[in-house]
Amino acid sequence: MNKFLGNKTAILLFILPALLLYTVMVFYPIVQTFFRSMYEWDGLSEGTFIWFDNYTRLFQDSLFFTSVKNGLIFAVIITVTQIGIGSILAFAVADAKFKGRKLLRISFFIPVVLSITVVCQLWLSIYNGEYGLINKIFEMIGLEYKQDWLSSSKSAIVAIAFVNAWQYMGYHFALLLAGVKSVPEQYMEAARIDGATKLQAILKINIPMMAETYKFCLVFAITGGLNAFANMYIMTSGGPGTSTYTLTYLMYRSAFRVGEFGYGSAAAAILVIECLIATLIINRLIARERISY
Amino acid sequence: MTWMMKLRKSNPGMPIFLWLYAILSVYPLVWMIFYSLKNNDEIFVTNPFGPPMHLRFENYVEAWSKYNVPVYFMNSLLVAVATVAGAILLAVMFSYAAARLRWRFSKIAHTYILVGMFIPIQVIMIPLAILVRDLNLANTYGALIIPYIAFNISFASMVFYGFFRSIPIEMEESACIDGASIYRTFFSIMLPIIKPALATMVIFIFLNSWNEFTMAVILITKESLKTLPLGLLFFQGQFTTDWGAMGAAMTIASLPTVLIYILFSEQVENALTVGSAVKG
Amino acid sequence: MKKMAIFIMSLCLVFVAACGSGGNNEAANNKATDEGNKETATNAAPEETKAEEAKPVKLRIYAQYADDDTKLPYDYAVAELKKEMPNVELELEVQAQDDGQKLKTYAATGNLPDIFQAGLDIITTFKKSGNILELDSYVDELGFRDKMYPSTMNTLVADDGHTYAFPYAGNEFVLLYYNKELFEQNNVKVPTTYDELMTAVKAFNAAGITPMSLFAKEKWPTVALFDMFVTRNEPQGILKLDKGEASASDPAYKEAADKIIELVKAGMLPKGATNLNYDQAAALFHQGKAAMFLNGQWEIAESTKQLGEKAGWMYFPGKDAANYEASKYAFSGGGGPGGYAVNPDTKDKDVAAKVAAFLSLKYAEYKYTERGNPLVSTKVDKAIVTEYPPMMKQLSDDIAKITSTTSFAWGLSDAKFKAAIEDASQSLMTGAYSSEQFIEDVNKAIPAAK
Repeated sequence: MNKFLGNKTAILLFILPALLLYTVMVFYPIVQTFFRSMYEWDGLSEGTFIWFDNYTRLFQDSLFFTSVKNGLIFAVIITVTQIGIGSILAFAVADAKFKGRKLLRISFFIPVVLSITVVCQLWLSIYNGEYGLINKIFEMIGLEYKQDWLSSSKSAIVAIAFVNAWQYMGYHFALLLAGVKSVPEQYMEAARIDGATKLQAILKINIPMMAETYKFCLVFAITGGLNAFANMYIMTSGGPGTSTYTLTYLMYRSAFRVGEFGYGSAAAAILVIECLIATLIINRLIARERISY
Repeated sequence: MTWMMKLRKSNPGMPIFLWLYAILSVYPLVWMIFYSLKNNDEIFVTNPFGPPMHLRFENYVEAWSKYNVPVYFMNSLLVAVATVAGAILLAVMFSYAAARLRWRFSKIAHTYILVGMFIPIQVIMIPLAILVRDLNLANTYGALIIPYIAFNISFASMVFYGFFRSIPIEMEESACIDGASIYRTFFSIMLPIIKPALATMVIFIFLNSWNEFTMAVILITKESLKTLPLGLLFFQGQFTTDWGAMGAAMTIASLPTVLIYILFSEQVENALTVGSAVKG
Repeated sequence: MKKMAIFIMSLCLVFVAACGSGGNNEAANNKATDEGNKETATNAAPEETKAEEAKPVKLRIYAQYADDDTKLPYDYAVAELKKEMPNVELELEVQAQDDGQKLKTYAATGNLPDIFQAGLDIITTFKKSGNILELDSYVDELGFRDKMYPSTMNTLVADDGHTYAFPYAGNEFVLLYYNKELFEQNNVKVPTTYDELMTAVKAFNAAGITPMSLFAKEKWPTVALFDMFVTRNEPQGILKLDKGEASASDPAYKEAADKIIELVKAGMLPKGATNLNYDQAAALFHQGKAAMFLNGQWEIAESTKQLGEKAGWMYFPGKDAANYEASKYAFSGGGGPGGYAVNPDTKDKDVAAKVAAFLSLKYAEYKYTERGNPLVSTKVDKAIVTEYPPMMKQLSDDIAKITSTTSFAWGLSDAKFKAAIEDASQSLMTGAYSSEQFIEDVNKAIPAAK
């Protein structure tokens, strides 16, 4: 068996194409980012090597802490809602007897198919303080709870995170659905015979069996949240003021608006490290030996 | 099956929630089409959410006249199909080796590939553009296809890795005893098992590539190679934007994918059932 | 099982085919251009006797081309160029609204277009890295200096005394527009002092009208509003901070911040102002739902079209009547170096520079004659086709009286300060930001005095 699974030629054949392309196109630029984070550099001219000065500056910059905090808020919100709602929807739709499940499945995925620009424009209208849908609904039910959802420095980041959570829930739904489908039917059958309710079966059998699925959903959601950029770029440009900055946005601002590419690279380097730590923690928490049935 | 029926009856809230959520999910599609038939005033002030009062088809005429929609469309399709093919192939091979085969650095290699998900594309745009130039890819389809494949490998590998890890080891053991080669085991036994994941990732990567804007806007300068999202550039001014025509351009870009998805999802559904049947 | 293998195989084939066809198309395209060139060459052949240097030249140009304000002048300039230099063919790339990300990446990869529109930000960065051609010799050769007004020289010559771009826009101003009818109907006096402004804000709010519309999603209008308050006491406004000659804690700046916070808290701006784009904020004003509106003088054309005689612009209110009179002509806004720039690595610098200069002149000419915008840098000897609206007449009558101007946010020379003042000014518009925070955030970024 070891010989079978340790076939050197096969291993090389399988991994080399991906590793090669990835190393050249993705990893090499990342290395350059780390390298450039130790430069005072505008992105075009020569630049000067300044060791860790960019990092020292970063840790004294209140904007950096705002950005890190917002990234964490964003990550937590999208992780909880996407995986939470995604699981509920996936388990419900996986039930073969459910009427209209095909239609539901297609519907849940539609926001993902649309471009992020469309979805952000829609939510800008929904959140709008004057003509927005949410405020109109409050008005209709007679509540005097009008909010400037995106203009208050406290609620803006939550409001934006929700848009992302809502749009990309479909991804998690589809991944979890594929995960549910991969759990062999006989286990559910056995649970049924034991007289377990559906909920019990899901909690005791599906979810543990889907540990690997949940693992990559978590990594996907958390790193996606820490990386968030497009939503704030389109919806608030980081505003009001600096209240919806994330590390990526800080990098973008430093590199392109301020012309401090080296400083921006330092912010990006921290981001990569942050994501790496998050991933390692997830892997530790859901550490499981290779499943044997 | 009766216990499920019971559950259904005892819990009517669930279907209601599901259908409400479905409506909430489909609304943006409808909204986008409405939007594409309105003018700025209607979009922002008088009627942001309802159907348009006049159908302004001139938005489509405007959008269509601005750029060569069929050419952009074909480019998008070509790039997306090539990206899907390349990324799926490379990722599935890599993740199989990382998840199932026995070699020393498999864990490290897996984490190494994951790092690609941690870096926002804006950060590495300039080094990437320089690479594209140095590899003589500039102004070819490869300028998009190659980076798109590279950037989709991380996510796809992570998903495939997860699925491969969930497969019991007995699968390979029996194949080994039957005298099948590792390649045959991979193609004839492992791949069919992860078909649900394959089908899902085909759609994901297709969409990623189809909607990608950040790289396309910088890496493609030649008119004959531009993809659909770049059409939006023609409507965004420094101060004002022709939102209606932009809506039309977005609809032109998105509607085909929605249609393809609706038509194709039947196939995906089949793939899913076949996949679990093999398992059972 | 075979099916799967075939599926994978076919995926590979598609992939190979796609890359292959990429190459093929490329070749086909090149062929097409070659043929195209041949055609132009043969067409041009009879003319060659007339003008010997007229070999066909193809130039890449990166320019704004999105709305009437940028499309029409560009199209006109290109049409004129066809008449003047028929051998030059321009290949336009539409400018992305991306803070110069695309242009900077072009520069980094050595793929810069032959001609590109450059603002101060691009000039400053490219100057350092040698990505922009110094145009001094062409200014002399083409006699461009004679085509400028003395007052607009600042748009041609940068701080270091050199020229990097041929300007097509002049010095522009921030104006506070108002709807005369709304003021009359609601018996509100057009404010001349801060107190009257506060009275107006309260009166309009009571009448259900938004006092002042502002597209604060873009950050520069918020900087402009702040600058207008500052210039009542410090005519150099934000420009003085940009040069590092003042501190945000100086009274003129602190008072301006305090005043804005007070007015915002009283409801001066529409709900969610920091999320309004131009189209939304302008709609409020144009539809008579907002009494005042802040924008550059280029808004005159649109407001006149929408509101006709009802629209006007006012001098900015002062601290008191004396201050109002004293600072009446201290305008906010201004101009700076910018326009069509040339790639130093372009094949034929002379042609590119000549084309850039010609385009900027014609671009400005169209704005002057057809777009009702006399505030261009270069002299136009053609008659005006579209007559100035009254608001523009009022402004052009005042131009000689203007005592000082400042700068738009995009004209600030220190990029770090610019980003900081933009973020801080936008925060002021939320009302939940104290002047102390404002001073702290801005002062951090003020450069050391030069």
